[in-house]
Parts: sequence; C-alpha cells; structure tokens
Amino acid sequence: MAAPVPWACCAVLAAAAAVVYAQRHSPQEAPQVQYERLGSDVTLPCGTANWDAAVTWRVNGTDLAADLLNGSQLVLHGLELGHSGLYACFHRDSWHLHHQVLLHVGLPPREPVLSCRSNTYPKGFYCSWHLSTPTYIPNTFNVTVLHGSKIMVCEKDPALKNRCHIRYMHLFSTVKYKVSISVSNALGHNATAITFDEFTIVKPDPPENVVARPVPSNPRRLEVTWQTPSTWPDPESFPLKFFLRYRPLILDQWQHVELSDGTAHTITDAYAGKEYIIQVAAKDNEIGTWSDWSVAAHATPWTEEPRHLTTEAQAPETTTSTTSSLAPQPTTKICDPGELGSGGGPSAPLLVSAPVTLALAAAAATASDLLI
Amino acid sequence: MDLRAGDSWGLLACLCTVLWHLPAVPALNRTGDPGPGPSIQKTYDLTRYLEHQLRSLAGTYLNYLGPPFNEPDFNPPRLGAETLPRATVDPDVWRSLNDKLRLTQNYEAYSHLLCYLRGLNRQAATAELRRSLAHFCTSLQGLLGSIAGVMAALGYPLPQPLPGTEPTWAPGPAHSNFLQKMDDFWLLKELQTWLWRSAKDFNRLKKKMQPSAAAVTLRLEAHGF
Repeated sequence: MAAPVPWACCAVLAAAAAVVYAQRHSPQEAPQVQYERLGSDVTLPCGTANWDAAVTWRVNGTDLAADLLNGSQLVLHGLELGHSGLYACFHRDSWHLHHQVLLHVGLPPREPVLSCRSNTYPKGFYCSWHLSTPTYIPNTFNVTVLHGSKIMVCEKDPALKNRCHIRYMHLFSTVKYKVSISVSNALGHNATAITFDEFTIVKPDPPENVVARPVPSNPRRLEVTWQTPSTWPDPESFPLKFFLRYRPLILDQWQHVELSDGTAHTITDAYAGKEYIIQVAAKDNEIGTWSDWSVAAHATPWTEEPRHLTTEAQAPETTTSTTSSLAPQPTTKICDPGELGSGGGPSAPLLVSAPVTLALAAAAATASDLLI
Repeated sequence: MDLRAGDSWGLLACLCTVLWHLPAVPALNRTGDPGPGPSIQKTYDLTRYLEHQLRSLAGTYLNYLGPPFNEPDFNPPRLGAETLPRATVDPDVWRSLNDKLRLTQNYEAYSHLLCYLRGLNRQAATAELRRSLAHFCTSLQGLLGSIAGVMAALGYPLPQPLPGTEPTWAPGPAHSNFLQKMDDFWLLKELQTWLWRSAKDFNRLKKKMQPSAAAVTLRLEAHGF
C-alpha cells in the first residue's frame, strides 16, 4: 500500500521538528534533583558553564539578585524550607537556559518511633511507625520481624502506609519477637528496634456500641450495655473482661466497676436527675493490657413528672369556657370608639388564660363605666 | 569439652521417671460430684493463683541468678533445655485439640515442670528461696491433682510415662555454672508460659462444659471427643 509510506515520512519529520523545538526552548537535560540539609550552605554551579561566564539565576521564574552569585555559581547560606524550588541559570545575553536544579531542603531522619500491638489475639499483631519530627523530603521505611532466628513476613496494611501486619505462626511462645525498622532519605539514615514477648503486646480495641439508658421508675439507676470489639476474633476461647467508669458531668471524680463477664451492667448509685458520662474498656482475662476507653455514652436517670404542673393545666380550661360567654358583651362595648372617649374603660381584650375571678371583675368594671 | 546444656535435665529426667510412678492424688474426694464443671473452674482459678505466685518467685530467683538473667531485655537463643515441655503450639493445632489431649498435655507438662522445680529447690542457695520454691511446688502439686480430678471425672486415663522416652543420660563433665543458670531461666520462662496457656486451655474446656449441660452430654464428651 502506498499510504503508510507518506505517513511514516510525516511522522519522522514531525519528530525531528519536535526535537529541534525542544532543544531550543527546553534545557538540554531534565532538571537535576538535589537534596540539601536545612541550615546548611550550598553552592549551585551553572551546569558546565565557566566560572566567569555571565549568567542570571532564577528561582521558580523569579530573578535572583546578583549579590548571591560567586562568578556563575549561586551561593545560598543558611538554607530554609522556603529555599526549596526550581533554580535555573540563563546566559545573560542570549537568555539561553543552561542548567536547572530542583532543590529540596530537608533533614536526615531522626530515630523512628516504632510500636507493636495485638488487638486480634490470637490471630496476629501489627506494628506501626512514624518520625517524631518531619524531614520535609521523601523517606523510605524497611521493617523486619524476627521470631528468635526465624524471619517473619510483615504484610503492608492496604490503607495505612506506616503499618504492617504479622500472623502468629505459634502461640504460647517463650521466644521473644524482635521488630527492626530502618528509615532513609537522601540526607541520611536511622534505625531502631523493639523486642517483646507474645503476651505483653496484647491490647484489644475499645468496646463498641456503648449505650446507657435510664431505668423506668428508678431515679438512681442507669442500664449500660456494650459489645465486644469486632476486631477481637475469638471471645469464646479468649474471653474479655471489662472496666466501666462513670461520673455525673458536674463532678470530676470517676466511679469504677470491674466486670469479669457479660456485656451489661446496671449502675445503682446514680445521683437523681444528673446527666452521666459512661465509658467502658476491655482486656483479655489473663494477658496484656487494658484497651483505650470507649466512645462515651451519656444518660440521665429517670425522673418523675412533677405533680403541680398537672393541676394548673386544668384551671385555664375552665376559665376559657366561662370567659367565652362573658367576652362578647364587653368586647363590643370596648371596641366602640365613641364609648371610649369619655374616659377609661378597659381597652384591652380579655385574656383567655385569666382566672375566672379576674374576668368577672373586668366585666363588672366595664359595665359600671357604661352606667356612669 | 562437650558442654551440653541438657545434662542437668538428663539427671532430673532420671529422677522424674521415679516420681512418675507415684500416683497423683485426684482432687475429687467425694462421690456424686455434679460433673467436672466446678473442677474445671477450680483448675482455672489455680492456674491464675500460680501465675500470680510465680511472678514474685521468678523475680526473686532471677535476681539471685544475677545479670543478665534479671534484665528485662534479656533475649537469649533457645539452646539446650530440650527436655523441657514446651507450651508453644501451632494456632490451628491448639484450637483443634480434643479435650483428652488438651488435658493430657497439661498434665504431662506440669508433671515434668514440677520435677525440674524440685531439682531447682535442692540447689537453691538461700533458705528464703528454698521456702518460696517449696511453697510453689506444693501449689503446683495441687494443680496437678486438680487436673487429674478433671480427667478422672471425664473418664480419661492419667498418662503413664512410656519406657525409653526419657533422654539417655550419660555421665559427662559437670557443665558450667552459666549454662546451669540458663537452664533455670528457661524453666521459669516455660513455667510462666504454660500457666498462661493453661488458663486459655481451661477457658476453652469451661465453655464446652456449661453447668447446665446434663450428665448425658458429659458422657458424650468423655467418649466422643
């Protein structure tokens, strides 16, 4: 076919044109990436240009003052985070771009913080890590887990990038686990390790769905229920015990109750009418440590409805029925402007909620005015 | 010089075979018991009591051994002490243990551990240590009896030592003081781990034998799994 040949020819020409264009309008090479330490001094040479070449430096497109130059080299003292950016040097006359440096100012890593915990005993445990101070540049972490002399696989968490998971291959082991982590970036390297027994890192997640309810007809009781954490895989064989704490919002002192089984408890010494805050924690019956406190539940014990409110509610109803029969007569009289001119009868309409006696008195007063 | 850390265990294993043949006294001392439920609870409670007692005993003993044994970060490789009964087990295997095997493993482990502890007691330097160890040994004997009681209630035979399972012990040079201390360290470590495991074992047994379960269910348990 004749068609592809001209197409190929066009493609080659287009590519050549692109290369020429790129060479004229872009640097010879991609920007060089350079990492420098915060607070240090750095001298950036303008690529391969001579020391005495006439150049201009720009950072992120903004010109830099000539007093920063040492010949054709850019000198930066006391690097700060703000110094990070794209530095470019141009031939002063032709404005030809000679060299580019992408500068990142950062720090070497400090000793990482590493911790491991088993909230899914006896399935496995996880380790998580972080740096106590930021480095401002990318870091890579490497975790190794040893059980005695055996290397164990630590699987990366699908969601969290500073966590990995280990499955227990043996239970009730007397041999300690050693977890080591090394962190490195362009400016340095650091590492740490922790050693622990299987039992010491067991710490369940807090109990879930903590609900506190008042108990009807019991002004000093609150019923609290909760569920074992869903991450605890086998509450039957590895039962949890619970710790409950509660206090009225207005006091600082907590009351504590330890419960060896069951996921419900009734508080019987609550102060009547006071709102309470209640939390629960969990722990394996024999090993490990207590979980963090659960999300707090709030509740106020049941209180009786006060009696006097009920009798007052009845009185206004009788008043309205009486006044409605009386009201029309005085109202029509009051609303007549001519009648009001002589002097003061009650101008305000009768209130429906007023007691019977007041209504009658008002009506009498109006009537007496009219008689004058 | 062939320093085998297991030599002291060989000696004690020899003594243990003698002690094996002494019958363990069952915890049940009256007929008509309401099944093994209360015995299992009692056994569980005993493991908790012993674990608590061991914590202070181990602390004292490790201090007596001196550094590095009493350092919290001490993490030696598990060498020697091969005849010590190991609590460690594959998670799936542990879960699928039948009741008889679960109880047997506990019984055998504590029988051995008790024997080794008595050997430790003989060598202990201070009178106070000997007193604490002796007290612990008595409690451990009680645990053994309790386990035997549960097994008897369920109709399981008490395990008898098979001839030839004890390691052959050839008289060799007395191994170093340090290796002896290592053996002591592992004994205490293994004892602690067994007590934690037993708590879990008896939890599992407790769940299977709820007090409401009739005697019929117990018979099924005894003969089935």
